[in-house]
Amino acid sequence: MITRRNFMRQSLQAAVGTTLLTPAFNACTSEHIITGKVIGPNAALGHRLRDMKFESPTQSKSTDVLIVGGGVAALSAARVLKQNNVSFHLLELGTEAGGNSVAGKNHVTAYPWGAHYLPLPNHNDPELIAFLKEAGVIIGEANGLPVFQDYYLCFDPKERLYINNFWQDSLLPHEGISLAEREEIDRFTTLMHEYKIMKGRDGKDAFTIPIAMSSQDDVFLALDKISMHTFLIQHDFHSEALHWYVDYCCADDFGATSRDVSAWAGIHYFASRKGRAANASDDTLLTWPEGNNFLVKKLQAYCQDEIETNALVYGITIKDDGVEVLFFDAKENRTVSYHARQVILATPQYINNRIFPQGKTVSQSFQYAPWMIANITIGSSLSERKGEQIAWDNVIFGSQSLGYVNASHQYVGIATAEKVLTYYYPLTGSDTTSERRRAYERGYDDWKEIILKDLSKAHPNIAKEITNIDIWIWGHGMIRPAPGLIWGQEIREVAASVDQKIFKAHSDLSGISIFEEAFYQGHQAAKLCLKHRP
Amino acid sequence: MKNSGDKAGSFQWLLLISVFIVATCGLIYELVAGTLASYLLGDSVTQFSTIIGTYLFAMGIGSYLSRFLNNNLLTWFITIELLVGMVGGFSAGILFILFEQIVYFRVILYSLVMATGILVGLELPLLMRILKDRVEFGDLVSKIFTFDYIGALFASLLFPLILIPYFGLLRTSFFFGFLNVVVAWIVAYRLKKDIKHYSSLKWSAIICLLCLGMGFVLSDKLTEFSESLTYPDKIVYTKSSPYQRIVITKSAIDWRLFLNGNLQFSSADEYRYHEALIHPGMSVIKNPKNVLVLGGGDGMAVREILKYPSVDSILLVDLDEAVTKLFRSNTALMSLNSHALLSSKLKVVNQDAFVWIRQQHKKFDFIVMDFPDPSNYSLGKLYSTTFYHEVKKILNPNGQLVIQSTSPFVARKSFWIINETLQHIGFLTKPYHCFVPSFGEWGFVLATNSNETHDAKLPRNLKFVSRETLPQLFVFPPDMDRVESSYNTLNNQVLVNTFEKEWADYTR
Repeated sequence: MITRRNFMRQSLQAAVGTTLLTPAFNACTSEHIITGKVIGPNAALGHRLRDMKFESPTQSKSTDVLIVGGGVAALSAARVLKQNNVSFHLLELGTEAGGNSVAGKNHVTAYPWGAHYLPLPNHNDPELIAFLKEAGVIIGEANGLPVFQDYYLCFDPKERLYINNFWQDSLLPHEGISLAEREEIDRFTTLMHEYKIMKGRDGKDAFTIPIAMSSQDDVFLALDKISMHTFLIQHDFHSEALHWYVDYCCADDFGATSRDVSAWAGIHYFASRKGRAANASDDTLLTWPEGNNFLVKKLQAYCQDEIETNALVYGITIKDDGVEVLFFDAKENRTVSYHARQVILATPQYINNRIFPQGKTVSQSFQYAPWMIANITIGSSLSERKGEQIAWDNVIFGSQSLGYVNASHQYVGIATAEKVLTYYYPLTGSDTTSERRRAYERGYDDWKEIILKDLSKAHPNIAKEITNIDIWIWGHGMIRPAPGLIWGQEIREVAASVDQKIFKAHSDLSGISIFEEAFYQGHQAAKLCLKHRP
Repeated sequence: MKNSGDKAGSFQWLLLISVFIVATCGLIYELVAGTLASYLLGDSVTQFSTIIGTYLFAMGIGSYLSRFLNNNLLTWFITIELLVGMVGGFSAGILFILFEQIVYFRVILYSLVMATGILVGLELPLLMRILKDRVEFGDLVSKIFTFDYIGALFASLLFPLILIPYFGLLRTSFFFGFLNVVVAWIVAYRLKKDIKHYSSLKWSAIICLLCLGMGFVLSDKLTEFSESLTYPDKIVYTKSSPYQRIVITKSAIDWRLFLNGNLQFSSADEYRYHEALIHPGMSVIKNPKNVLVLGGGDGMAVREILKYPSVDSILLVDLDEAVTKLFRSNTALMSLNSHALLSSKLKVVNQDAFVWIRQQHKKFDFIVMDFPDPSNYSLGKLYSTTFYHEVKKILNPNGQLVIQSTSPFVARKSFWIINETLQHIGFLTKPYHCFVPSFGEWGFVLATNSNETHDAKLPRNLKFVSRETLPQLFVFPPDMDRVESSYNTLNNQVLVNTFEKEWADYTR
């Protein structure tokens, strides 16, 4: 029961945040130690592709279909091959498959090292719906809509934004925002909704996932030629808060600001997700403590015995009777020659440039955004500012980071003080090469300082509450859909299969690095491969 | 000459600003004492009026006493400033700590008010005497009182609008003590030529500042240390488990258990709550055998369940081992639950109910959900469709489920959301309520899978539920009657959001 006395105590506790002498006091106490290190990925093996110094193969193997790469596209292809009883093998560079959807675990919870959610899936990829049923994510149907497993639908509260010294609900800025700006933001969301329900003359959705199923009306494709920023200015959007919000969204899916992303891609972020559920609102999403690694594990179940890890593919050559694939087996420290009748090339194009020079190589228009991801363990209860309680997604207005996701959010038990926060930091500078160099050059302590400085704004004592920070640098985190990439000629030429022997599958061929596109690319390549079985 | 004129001018300003600050501090101490007294002792009209009266009277004594101070007026003034800073600054902290420990709390309270009042009363007369040779008398009186009253106005506005909401009582008190001492030090520094013992005054000031600064920084700890603000009665037991703060208080008429400051029961009327929780559901089950209690680690619900001889096993799942241990080992508390937690039919599992239930297969005839109110998102999960689905899986086809469902009077929408949530997943529900004096009007929802009905077979010697009163529990007067409501899921948490609003409105 809440009583007057109780209320009094709460108002006394409200004073906790407003300290004058705390900094001075903190300086006197013994220094708090935060453990941790940069843990991944192991770039050294991959960087051997730069000088290509490999001994000639000492062993040879053969298989029917060989999948090169172990990300979501590769695993999606593997699932289709398995279901069609085709024998195959899969070569993964890292210590485990999963691509951007790898995960870690500590004594508190599992947590993602990359992709961490899936929006409710659109209905136009039946393969994805089928997989989600196999994975137990969709557990039934009601009123013509899928019923999702409750434990995987993101619990409430979903998101909050720290703005003007206050945690507001929703990521759309409203707290302390002028009426004129709020009206502009409303106008923007209305416009995006119009795009969401818009259809082209060809009867297709203007914007959908998979991208390939979107309308190809000129009026929409013209949006791929300008930047999202230009689009905003053309439509008379000048609100600073709105520009921040759009930049935030572009960074979220593309690792770039609205200036470096095409308007088509930018609008796609807001207008393509039309999934619905019988047991949740439309804007709900699916998430797991370990992020999309949950889905990856379900996909891996189809190819447990076919996956070979620590395998660096460095040369692919088309032969008369198939394809020769050379790889370095880091576990045994030897090189192997693999003979396959067909190959599904599920590696990003900047890698294909090196390992498959015989094929069509890509130009500078394929840019990959670098990312830093940190998993931050909080040991004692998190100091908070005024406003909403901790949500699943927690964003700080005006920050270079995307804020953090509470990895413990989907835990059903009584919340304990200990939690893991997954902190996302895209390096959104226009020049990805120099951004990448900077990302690698920064040491652990530099990153730690950046993180603490950012989070201290919203959590004044967080430096003392953190027990561990681990860091992961993704040099080529995700493809950037710069103007002209998604609907340009080059991407189509690169994506084409070669000689009916090599089939390409990677989300960068969609121009957007999201689970659904990778999954789509994977099963499309596998189906093409099946169609052209020798 | 110009130079010395400036000096005299700035000197006068310095003293007038110190009058202003001293006046502000003085009124703040008075307000702090008044506020504390009304929070701790209740009856704010009486407390404020006696505190203000005492304070003003004490100031009168101080003014009277000022005549006995003759030499070294400046040293006296500064010493008194330091003393006011210390006494005033620490008064709130001292009162906080002593409230629980001391029977004669009022004596301490009024002594502190007297001491502060006397010291503050000394200040102005002394200051006027110090200034009387340096400033023209009419001008002096006019200026000093002007600044005195402006300071008072300033303090009276600052206190409720800024200080209490943002600083809290303790910090305010320490902060103004600090300010008082700083003023004393500045005055002493500016006039060090006229003061004999400047160095000793300086060191006293530094020590005072350090003490007050420490107090300021440690205010939170002090608040934690003193729980007196939360509990009206004598605290007889406190313990912090990993999950909650357990406090038991005792008064002439009852024992009370508080978890995180929220009342769980009063021994004077808990039988009403627990009889109403158990018997409407339990009495209509034919030969109930296996019973599950989720929450309810105090054993009171188990005590009622044990009144049915057909029961051969009770499983109690409570998160907090500290609670179940306490009610299984403390003699006084065991007499409250009639040693229920020692029953050979009982098994206790200390686990999170949601985590536990997902691994359960064994079925039960009667399930009791006696969780804390859905006041946060963690607890809200235990009232969701998902959790009820899990419960439904382990309820026998002819079994009954009962859920404590907060107050249908205070949180009417919340109550009916719980009912709606149960119905949504296919339970047949019978909501009911009863009056528990220490809680107010309280609600429960009985849920079942079957529409088979049996006559209630109540145990003998119940104090509240009887054949006659039982049907009345299911009657809702119009002010608590059903309202249209949505159902609570993990991904909307409408219950927590509604509950928060309803209780906030009620306690405003």
